[in-house]
Amino acid sequence: MSDQSERLLHIFTDSFLPLLRAGIAFTVPLTLISFALGLALALLTALARLSEFRPLAWVAGFYVWIIRGTPLLLQLFIIFYGLPSLGILIDAFPAAVIGFTLSVGAYGSEIIRAAIVSIPKGQWEAAYALGETRLQALRRIILPQAARVSVPPLSNSFISLVKDTSLAATVTVTELFQKGQQITAAVYEPLLVYSEVGLIYLIFCTVLAALQRQLERYFDRYSSV
Amino acid sequence: MIEVRGLTKAFGETSVLRGIDLTLEKGSVLVVIGPSGSGKSTLLRCLNVLEVPTSGTVAIGKARLEFRPDAKPRLADVLALRRQSGMVFQAYHLFPHFTALQNVMEGQLTVRRTPKREARAKAMQLLAKVGLADRADAYPHQLSGGQQQRVGIARAMSIDPELLLFDEPTSALDPELVREVLKVIRELAEEGRTMMIVTHEMKFAREVADRVMLLDGGAVVEEGPPEQLFERPREARTRQFLSLIMERSF
Ligand SMILES: Nc1ncnc2c1ncn2[C@@H]1O[C@H](COP(=O)(O)OP(=O)(O)O)[C@@H](O)[C@H]1O
Ligand SMILES: [Mg+2]
Repeated sequence: MSDQSERLLHIFTDSFLPLLRAGIAFTVPLTLISFALGLALALLTALARLSEFRPLAWVAGFYVWIIRGTPLLLQLFIIFYGLPSLGILIDAFPAAVIGFTLSVGAYGSEIIRAAIVSIPKGQWEAAYALGETRLQALRRIILPQAARVSVPPLSNSFISLVKDTSLAATVTVTELFQKGQQITAAVYEPLLVYSEVGLIYLIFCTVLAALQRQLERYFDRYSSV
Repeated sequence: MIEVRGLTKAFGETSVLRGIDLTLEKGSVLVVIGPSGSGKSTLLRCLNVLEVPTSGTVAIGKARLEFRPDAKPRLADVLALRRQSGMVFQAYHLFPHFTALQNVMEGQLTVRRTPKREARAKAMQLLAKVGLADRADAYPHQLSGGQQQRVGIARAMSIDPELLLFDEPTSALDPELVREVLKVIRELAEEGRTMMIVTHEMKFAREVADRVMLLDGGAVVEEGPPEQLFERPREARTRQFLSLIMERSF
């Protein structure tokens, strides 16, 4: 083996664990926490937008409009670099969590809202006819069916989020991509190191896609019309 | 006893029910017939408050509610009235994510707050009554239309309603499946259930009805015992409608 390829192999093997560690210590928790919080926010936002109480629907619509109409990168910069001017100082990791949560909340709310609206009116009526309240009908009859419809598009959002967390590098979170930049700066092999970073993202996303299929299979125990 | 006085319903400018009066003794069966668009579904939906009537009074069992055009009824009153009747829909509207058993348990669990074990026992009993004890664990998409509608009937009965409402329960069914559903309804009539049935099955209507009501243009044209309405109708409009229906079925 030539010296050069031996050197590259060494760089690859030496970087693998630090990169994987950065992924597991930052990319994965950033994704999981933001997605969990974002989903809760998305559900509340969707319900607010469908609410008969106008002001609530309006506030929710305004929030979605802002988040969808501006770049995520910009939102992260405003939270991390902008808010300190107002005396609001947030550490890098929580700042990133806030940014990603708001993003998942806005995009997810559109998915959930569309899913709720797609459930036939007869389902509401059948629940009402039994004497259920709007909240009971929603919780017992509508949301479980809407959840099934939402799984594929929400899984897409989830996988997008894994990759979007690389933006957290710009607000100094040493997640997977940032770690790749640091290693590249030291060894100057950008092609090799960034490909390795990509490989680790691929591993994460492949595992997630497998989980998604499990979830879809669970919901497919009944098939709706 | 069921009592309806001066019931009207308008959708915007369109008057769909124009002052309906009806009285139904406990244990009797009222069949509602009439051309398409005459307001039959709307009448049933108003009794179940799936549509809020514009004006009039509805009294079913212990619940009584007066509707006014200028005031929204209180939710608690609506729920109290609605829980007096069970609805069987033309298109079944079973909950697809629940098994047959769970469909029949749902109202007991959430509305009547029956303990689970008890709700399950009662649901099994109701499924047996409609001949589906062996399909309790099937999901709706695994059942035929006739079976789904029978689950729908069991579900409507599960909340012990004073009144059962059927809106064209066999109209969505293939002809060979109609009979099994009508048989179940006939048995309920024999048991003395109070029922209001919208149907185009005239032979069935004659057998099962204590009273028949012809609705046209949102108003009652004629109401009376089946022998009278089918054999000696008083109104020309009734004769006209019946001959149209007979033509269609022969
Ligand atoms: N939600 C609604 N909005 C407006 N018009 C309606 C609505 N529901 C029913 N109608 C109208 O009311 C009339 C009676 O309808 P319906 O009660 O369904 O008649 P039927 O069941 O006798 O065929 C029809 O002209 C129908 O178009
Ligand atoms: Mg109808």
